[in-house]
Amino acid sequence: MASTTNLREKIKSKRKALQESLTRTRDDIDTQALVNSEMGTNKESQQTAVKEIADNEEEQVENLKRTLKAQRQRRKKPLLEDATDMPTEELVEDLSTVVRGKRTLPPISLSSPRTSYAEFSMRERMREKLKAARSKAESVLQQETSSESLRRLKNLRDAETVTRFDTELDDDEFRRSRDNVSPLSSRVKFRDIVNRLKQKPQTQTGFPTAEEAYNFFTFNFDPEPPEEKPKKKRRSRQDQEEGEEEEAQEEEEEEEEEETAVSGEQEGEAEKDEDAPLVKDQDEDLFIIDQTAQDFLEYKAAECEDYNSRLLKEKEVLFTPSILTVPASHKVPENKQPRFLEDEGLYVGERPEVSLTNQNILENRLLRQEEGKRWFGDDGRIMALPDPIKESSTRPPVFSLEEDVDPALETVYRKAVKSKYTNRYIVGAGDPQGDFQLDIDVSGLIFIHHPLFSREHVLAAKLAQMYDQYLTRQQKNLTSLLTDKLHALRNAIRNITEQHDGQILNPVMQHRIAEYKCEIRHTRKLRDAEQEKDRTLLKGIVKIWKEIKALRDFQRFTNTPLKLCLRREAVDRRADERLFESEIQAEIHELSEEFEEEYQKQLSEYKAKYAEWKAWKKKQKAKRKKKKKQRAEEEDEDGQEKESDEELGEEPPKPDPPGELDVAALEQQVREKANLSRRKPGESNLIAELTSAGNVTPNELCPRGEIMRREDTLKRSIYTKVLYNNKEVSRTASRTLNSDFRVHFGQIFNLKIVNWPESVKLQVFEMVGSSTTMLAEVYVPLPDTTVLTGNAPSEELEFSSNQRVMFDHEGVGSDVPFSFEADGSNKLILLTSGKLSCSVSWAVGENGAPLVPPMSQQTGGIQSAIKQLDAIACIGTSGVSDMKKLAKWAAESRLDPNDPSNAALMQLLTIATSGEVQIPDFFRLEQLQEEFNFASEEELQRSKRFRLLELRSQEVAEFRNYKRVPALDREISEKVFQEYEKRLREREIIDTSDHLDAHRALVAKYLQKVRESVINRFLIAKHHYLLSDLVVEEEVPSIGVLGISLFKLAEPKRPLKPRRKERKKVTAQNLSDGDIKLLINVIRAYDIPIRKPNTSKPSVASRSARSFTEAFAAGQPSQSPTQSSDWPLNQVLIRPFVEVTFQRTVRQTTTADGPNPNWNEELELPFRAPNGDYSTASLQSVKEEVFINVFDEVVYDVIEDDRERGSGIHTRVERHWLGAVRIPFTTIYFQSRIDGTFKINTPPVLLGYSKERSLAGEGGYDAVRCLSEGSYITLFITIEPQLVPGETVREKFDTQEDEKLLQAADKFQKEAALKFPGRQCLTTVIDISGKTVFITRYVKSLNPPQELLDASPNNSQEASELVARFVSLIPSLPDSVSFAGICDLWSTCDQFLDLLAGDEEEHAVLLCNYFLAMGKKAWLIIGNAIPEGPTAYILTYEQSQYVIWNPSSGQFYSQYDTFCPLQSVGCLVNADNVWFNIQQYDTPMRMSFDISKAKFWKPFFSRSFSHPGLSSIQPEELVYCRTDKAAAAELQDRIEKILKEKIMEWRPRHPTRWNRYCTSTLRQFLPKLELNQGKDVGDDHRMELQSLLGDYRISGFPIHMPFSEIRPVIEAVYSTGVHNIEVSNVEFALAVHVQPYPNNVLSVWVYVASLIRNR
Amino acid sequence: MAEVHVIGQIVGASGFPQHSLFCKWGVHTGGAWKLLSGLREGQTQVDNPQNEEMASWSHPIDIHFATKGLQGWPKLHLQVWHQDSFGRCELYGYGFCHVPSSPGLHELQCVTWRPVGSWQDQLSQLFIGGGVQLKNSDLIYSGADRYRLHTSAMGTVHLQLGVILRHFDRYGVEC
Repeated sequence: MASTTNLREKIKSKRKALQESLTRTRDDIDTQALVNSEMGTNKESQQTAVKEIADNEEEQVENLKRTLKAQRQRRKKPLLEDATDMPTEELVEDLSTVVRGKRTLPPISLSSPRTSYAEFSMRERMREKLKAARSKAESVLQQETSSESLRRLKNLRDAETVTRFDTELDDDEFRRSRDNVSPLSSRVKFRDIVNRLKQKPQTQTGFPTAEEAYNFFTFNFDPEPPEEKPKKKRRSRQDQEEGEEEEAQEEEEEEEEEETAVSGEQEGEAEKDEDAPLVKDQDEDLFIIDQTAQDFLEYKAAECEDYNSRLLKEKEVLFTPSILTVPASHKVPENKQPRFLEDEGLYVGERPEVSLTNQNILENRLLRQEEGKRWFGDDGRIMALPDPIKESSTRPPVFSLEEDVDPALETVYRKAVKSKYTNRYIVGAGDPQGDFQLDIDVSGLIFIHHPLFSREHVLAAKLAQMYDQYLTRQQKNLTSLLTDKLHALRNAIRNITEQHDGQILNPVMQHRIAEYKCEIRHTRKLRDAEQEKDRTLLKGIVKIWKEIKALRDFQRFTNTPLKLCLRREAVDRRADERLFESEIQAEIHELSEEFEEEYQKQLSEYKAKYAEWKAWKKKQKAKRKKKKKQRAEEEDEDGQEKESDEELGEEPPKPDPPGELDVAALEQQVREKANLSRRKPGESNLIAELTSAGNVTPNELCPRGEIMRREDTLKRSIYTKVLYNNKEVSRTASRTLNSDFRVHFGQIFNLKIVNWPESVKLQVFEMVGSSTTMLAEVYVPLPDTTVLTGNAPSEELEFSSNQRVMFDHEGVGSDVPFSFEADGSNKLILLTSGKLSCSVSWAVGENGAPLVPPMSQQTGGIQSAIKQLDAIACIGTSGVSDMKKLAKWAAESRLDPNDPSNAALMQLLTIATSGEVQIPDFFRLEQLQEEFNFASEEELQRSKRFRLLELRSQEVAEFRNYKRVPALDREISEKVFQEYEKRLREREIIDTSDHLDAHRALVAKYLQKVRESVINRFLIAKHHYLLSDLVVEEEVPSIGVLGISLFKLAEPKRPLKPRRKERKKVTAQNLSDGDIKLLINVIRAYDIPIRKPNTSKPSVASRSARSFTEAFAAGQPSQSPTQSSDWPLNQVLIRPFVEVTFQRTVRQTTTADGPNPNWNEELELPFRAPNGDYSTASLQSVKEEVFINVFDEVVYDVIEDDRERGSGIHTRVERHWLGAVRIPFTTIYFQSRIDGTFKINTPPVLLGYSKERSLAGEGGYDAVRCLSEGSYITLFITIEPQLVPGETVREKFDTQEDEKLLQAADKFQKEAALKFPGRQCLTTVIDISGKTVFITRYVKSLNPPQELLDASPNNSQEASELVARFVSLIPSLPDSVSFAGICDLWSTCDQFLDLLAGDEEEHAVLLCNYFLAMGKKAWLIIGNAIPEGPTAYILTYEQSQYVIWNPSSGQFYSQYDTFCPLQSVGCLVNADNVWFNIQQYDTPMRMSFDISKAKFWKPFFSRSFSHPGLSSIQPEELVYCRTDKAAAAELQDRIEKILKEKIMEWRPRHPTRWNRYCTSTLRQFLPKLELNQGKDVGDDHRMELQSLLGDYRISGFPIHMPFSEIRPVIEAVYSTGVHNIEVSNVEFALAVHVQPYPNNVLSVWVYVASLIRNR
Repeated sequence: MAEVHVIGQIVGASGFPQHSLFCKWGVHTGGAWKLLSGLREGQTQVDNPQNEEMASWSHPIDIHFATKGLQGWPKLHLQVWHQDSFGRCELYGYGFCHVPSSPGLHELQCVTWRPVGSWQDQLSQLFIGGGVQLKNSDLIYSGADRYRLHTSAMGTVHLQLGVILRHFDRYGVEC
């Protein structure tokens, strides 16, 4: 505390001194101001001095050193005195004087550039002094620590700062005294003091505020005042001893010094402790309030360190090396001279370039470090490695992109393009390398005829044409070519004969000669023809030229410059004659030889025949004799005899011997021919030359008509438009028509194409004034991909126009008769025509690459899928797509291998025949692959799991949607692949055992292939998703919809009127097994046959020929009487029930009673999709059918013992099949519900049953009822949940139809759909090769097989029924099954007959064509029927009424038939037109079929769009092959055998016995059934079975079906359930009959019956 | 005989200069590899995020390989395309990455680059769109001399691949 009180006192005294000085200054302001100004100048001078120092350091150094010395010496004294506790005031005073002295010191201009030595010595001295000073200072410090006051210490420091101030200026000195000094500037020195002062109070905790005040006071003012303050202070200190002053003055001072107002206050506060009474006296009022706040608050100024002070601080920490060069002596070890290795001759590398300043800095710094010298080499420089930078770069140069880039690195600039989706665009058309360009060169056109032709022009054109022809012939020179060939051949023969003179020719040679001869004959014929042509042409030319000349003479002017010169070429007459003669002789010789040969042949033939004849004669004679004998002996062998008789039945005619050769006549003939066609010997060669050198008569000399013509000609001009894909892309400039009617355009159009080229068309326009007329359209064939611009030949395309033009001047006009004769006879009509020469070719790119789109692309799409399979190819006839066949053809047709035009072909053939194209040698890319493989390729192949996975991902039919592939190979059984492998094998081998018929096997194979390809196509199409497939957005209800629903709310509720609710449709994809059910509601049936007691004896029904009217109107009245007579007496119940079979699931209804049962039961059958694949495609291709069978439940009493009758019932239930309805699943799937009454397919004969014809007493009703024959069942079928039927793939197919027609068809269909959305309107269909074809092209009258017509020559009714039956016998195969999801494909009739399978359309087209051939009026009906859905029927007009034919069943209905399956009619089609039904109703009963009525039927071709004369695509004539009867018989046996085996197989637990007698009876009966087409034979039949019926209870029936393969037959027999009888004593009878029809159409009858012996 | 099953997705892309991106991808393998099922290549939809940095595709990848050896481990190569406001497509980046060889789920980030081309190309790219593309896109993954190309870095494609390996241990390959 002593020190603190001491300090306080000191401060107090200090303040007092200050106040004193202030008062003093106030007292004598003048002096003060003076001093101030003096001080200012002093300061300035000081600053300048500093500046000077900086300027000439050297000088100053010297100067300062001296002053320093003086100072030190001076200082020594006070320091010594200090030891004796001397007051330091003096020292301070001294210091200030020193400063002042220094300031006053004049700058010594001692300009003496001292040597280093001098410097050195100087330094030495300085060092010594410093040492002394240091020791002194140390001792002083020791004293200070012991007892010295702070103030003294501070003074000491001050003293030190003086030295510091000096040393700062001299680096060297500073460094030496570094240990005990720190740099300070003169100004900063003061601050240091301040800092000390600041630190002081902090240690003395008593007065923080005073300290603050001081701090504030000293810091925040300009740098100037602090200079003064210390002086003041110092002054005050000096004046301290002088005495104390009044404290009141202090306040005055405060008031005076405005800037220190605050600090003054604080000062006052600081003094509170000590001078409390004083403060209280003064500031009582002021501090009353503030007193409390003062205790807590502290007002602090923002702390900010001055830049300079910061620098100062940094100086303490940082070391900045000097940038001055270090003398070498410092760097080398002591007492050593730098040694330069370079001078000594050692290699020293070049040092890296470093700037001198940097080097200096580094050196200075290094020297400062300990052992800093070791960084320096002997030469006194920093050690350094030689410069590592190489002159040239060692990196491989990177070449710029422009030159020679690695092809893998090439980049291409591609424009941003839109991606194209439609495949009509060429893929990659936008790419720069995908530029496709067509060059169309329109060079010009020549008119062959033009309306403005004068007569002379007409002739001239003709002449020019002929001359052209003449020139081309000359150029080809076929005549001489052929003559040469002839000579060569003759020589060859001669050579052969000469070589083998006298020897017998070997067969090869003989054969060759024969060939040569044949060749000669052929060549001669050709040569003669050519010669004749040449001659006539020349004659023609001459004739026309003469005509022209005559015309020119006649009209007395010339219009054309044509001129014909005939040049004669003299020939050597004799040589010529000789040649001619020899030629003729040779010919005669050959001819005679030929004749001889022929004669020999005929003769031998004759001899053979004669011998035969003779032999026959002999035999005949012998036989006659024999017969006479035999007749007497035995009668039995008569049959055999007859046979042999028949063998010889035909008597061969007695042959005539051939005639002899007449040589003279032959010669005559040859000479005549030669005269006619050949130049006569000696006659000079005529060579025609056509020139246009003639003069045209100038206009003035011409008659008026001609002048007008010429003027008219000049008015006209011609231009051509270029149309690409029917869009105009460019046009040529228009050129005026010259008098020679040739127009030269010479323009080339480069078309960059994006779309596939479909057509390139040129339109020739003629312009007269401003009006233009189109003369003609020329279709330019699209160039082959090989036709490139360089090599494309210019083609001349002929065009003509049928425009009628007439003139009143000399122009002949067009389509106008005119004549060259004066009398106007021999008229000619010429049409405007001409030749347009142009060429279309693919352009060649800059780099020579052709700009042709890749052709493979074009064949993408559906077309290709079908195209690849040539429709008929698999059946045996094929085009020359096969290389081998081509080679064979080439060998057969003896192509000349040396002919250049065949070169390409020959080359192709050599490649094809020499084997496969050589596989180029290859190198292995991955050489070490084998060594590092885990497993071999085989192992990979063998893995069953991998195979299964692969097949599944390939969507192979068997493995598609295969679930859960086992993880281990051993878990996969071999069986999985068996079926697939079998199928693969079978693809090649045609298995006839399954099909019984080779042809059908082939067809089945073909259909399988088509089916596969179509399904594959569909699978691919399935992967293309549309937005709607992925994004399902609920439609936002519109105002209208909302309004309606609101309105509905207001409606009165009608709970008794049920409303039909639309079921929710389910997309197929998220379904699984068991989700889908088939609901079949069996409602009721009509007219089910009733049981007939065995004893009944039916009368024979007379079967008369019925007419159509009869059939419809009266039914079968013949049966009614007999039936009705029986009816009431022996009424037998019938208890029918319905059994539905689908996918081997069986459901049945309860049993109802009577012939018109009413079940109204719903049956539910589960549906399982194949392989669990519920995709649309898979559902569409489900082939299964729903069988709805109607059975009769018969209960037999089987109690054998009558005694038991009272106690028990023992009966057996049997069921007898009555009929069936088959509905394919696809129909249900597509229609989503089927509702209607169907005809039950009942067998023609049901043993033990008869049709209930009439009900007694209901005569009137009877007539109506009997309109229908057969039984009917009402059904309602649907799928639960409702499935969304798949969209058919709508793709544009390519076509050969006219664009206009297609557009019209499109429009027609759209209009129809708009008006009647439900009605079918068909205008274009797709043929089997995937092309769109207009429907009328299918209709054409075609001949039915003659046998059918012959069967009933005078009854057209029967004939047409037979024909319909024939058509219906062709098996039906719905397209929707085979071409799932695609569309209907229509095949032509010949294809249909070849394939022997087709659906309703094909049947309908064939039947329609047959009817047309039979002279009927027939139309195709496109409409809806039950159960087929959309289908095609036939409409005929017979005897003033319309008849509807079902082509697939062969049945016909009247228009007003209630049970006609046809439900609606969309349109009618015949060969000329399509009519769309625009009547209100579309059911056949309620509409008119009168197509002439425009308000009922809307025709496609009308007056506005007339029929363009579409040709039919049907063949000219159908050729039928006769069916082999033996094959049919064989088939019959086989079917019977198979069926018998099957029935035994189906009854595994019971023995199956066959009743042979019954079988033979049945077998005899079947042909009759076939003959009558299953009608009205029941009674005859019953009669025949009478014998059997007595003993047995028979139930059975014949089944009839068209034959396609064996499986359906078996299926049909199975479905009847005949085999299900389990009575022990049952016997079976089975007979099969196959009736062959022309063209391999077979009708199969199967008669099955079960017999139970009655006891 | 070993099997590799890659199941995952192309999550999206980020860091491209523009949005409206789509990606074409393909898997390249050596000769020893056999594709059992799944698609080797594909294309994502165009994603145009309104207010996000990253375009999301979430395009599924499901490939099943069988292999005879380790060589030619499958690589996934990608091309990022940009569809501009006119509906035109231009290349934005090539990139490739190896399918991870350890089993499990992997998050991959495939950086992409695109060739720069000459200044003319860049100029026309600036004004009319399009851009320089590789003539042979094999270079994306084969790339012997790729450093010679002048390229600029584009964004990143994010992938998420789950790899299932089977039977590698049989052949002494530990995974």
